[in-house]
Amino acid sequence: MQLKRAVITGFGTVSPLGSDVIEMQAGFEASRSAVQLMEGWDAYKGLRSLIAAPAISLDASSIPRQSRRSMGPMSIYSVQAAQQALAGSALPVGLLTSGRVGCVIGSTMGGTRSINEIYENMASHKDLSQLTSMKFFQCMSHTAALNVSQHFGINGVVMATSAACASGLQAIGSAYDLIRLGTQDAVLCGGAEELFPTVTGAFDILFATSTKYNDRPQLTPRPFDADRDGLVCGEGAGILVVEEYEHARARGARIYAEIIGYHTCASGQHVSHSSKESLAASMRGALASARIDAGAVDYINAHATATLQGDKEEAEAIRDIFGDKVPVSSLKGYMGHTLGASGAIELVASLLMMQAGRIYPTKNLERVADDCQGIWHVQKQLERQVNVIIKNAFALGGLTASLVVKSPD
Amino acid sequence: MTKEEVISKTNEVFEKSFEIAPERLKPEAHIFNDLGLDSLDIVDLVVGLQQKFAVTIRDDERVRNIRTLGDVYDFIYLLGQEGSVGGSPSK
Repeated sequence: MQLKRAVITGFGTVSPLGSDVIEMQAGFEASRSAVQLMEGWDAYKGLRSLIAAPAISLDASSIPRQSRRSMGPMSIYSVQAAQQALAGSALPVGLLTSGRVGCVIGSTMGGTRSINEIYENMASHKDLSQLTSMKFFQCMSHTAALNVSQHFGINGVVMATSAACASGLQAIGSAYDLIRLGTQDAVLCGGAEELFPTVTGAFDILFATSTKYNDRPQLTPRPFDADRDGLVCGEGAGILVVEEYEHARARGARIYAEIIGYHTCASGQHVSHSSKESLAASMRGALASARIDAGAVDYINAHATATLQGDKEEAEAIRDIFGDKVPVSSLKGYMGHTLGASGAIELVASLLMMQAGRIYPTKNLERVADDCQGIWHVQKQLERQVNVIIKNAFALGGLTASLVVKSPD
Repeated sequence: MTKEEVISKTNEVFEKSFEIAPERLKPEAHIFNDLGLDSLDIVDLVVGLQQKFAVTIRDDERVRNIRTLGDVYDFIYLLGQEGSVGGSPSK
């Protein structure tokens, strides 16, 4: 069976750096940090990381109430990012309702704010009578996928990946497979996440958050840095239009990049620890899938969240495969870790670098840690033609995902 | 509670929960056909009214007969007459 080719014909983001892709790119250009002290978080006993990177989004009132009523913040971010992606792709509106367009959007755990509101009624008051009909729709694992598909009338394959911080990249990988197999002509895909103290708290309990910079939030997270002390949670959504190559060509669509390889796997070893073996297996699998050697890669967009253990393992895995020959940077220092959205938002950022011929450096990386040496860390903006990119995303559970994209022919 | 108070508070529920402009809130307005609510909205209307008037009406069979905004006013006013408004649930 001849697999079809999958290309990216549109993308959009709502991120901590801005309500669209242009604002996000301006944030990278200005080396701006979106990390800030979160008002009211000090009320949570035991929460030590009081900082986060909230999304900047437009007023949602332009979304009709009948659509919006089932949306929590992450679904609103997703719809707004999808609007950008669809506008950029110029995908015919009629196609959305043809059954040939799908929607795959992942997140860590659905709408955390609504989940918390339900808990407050159920656990504190043992009272169901105050729950509105939409609360469950706002918190389901596939809330973003269902809301985007409902809002745009998409009636093809609709599903949600749920692999914590690899959810967004797994969603794009799944879309890639749907296109390659000929199941769909186009898929809106990506990841979404919303901030809430319980989310940061989940990592804080594991000693994985940044806790030493509450008074200097813009200096953290610090991927690969000697003074890194953990991740900072962010939120937002990244949505891409992945389309079958001939379909895109036939309608004269602009092609931003082609997805040429993807792999996802797990360590099978530990519920929380990253392992360099599974990280390397993910990247090697993606390269094999793309039928290219490591030397063909021009840039690695690292997952690197600034945890002590994760950054070390990723640096070692990259070193084992690429040595110090390929530029590497992480974008967490600008936007925090947008968790289930990160793979998609950062892939879009990587496409911007491909377009601009410019690699954005790892913000807050001032002194490379001893345990992260041996790879080409980009510490200053680097003017460089980028044709082939590998994007990594890793997650609790030892899950890993890597996607390879190349510039259009 | 006076009928005027019932109307005012009920309208607040429709404005807040369903974003309906005050000028559209006429007693004769059909809550499905004119105000655009659907079956899921009725769940939220019940929750909104329960919170606003401190009543429990979810299992009250009379809710099923409501068609217009005026029906809502009359139902809530009747609950008040029965002494159900303000904490004592209706049957």
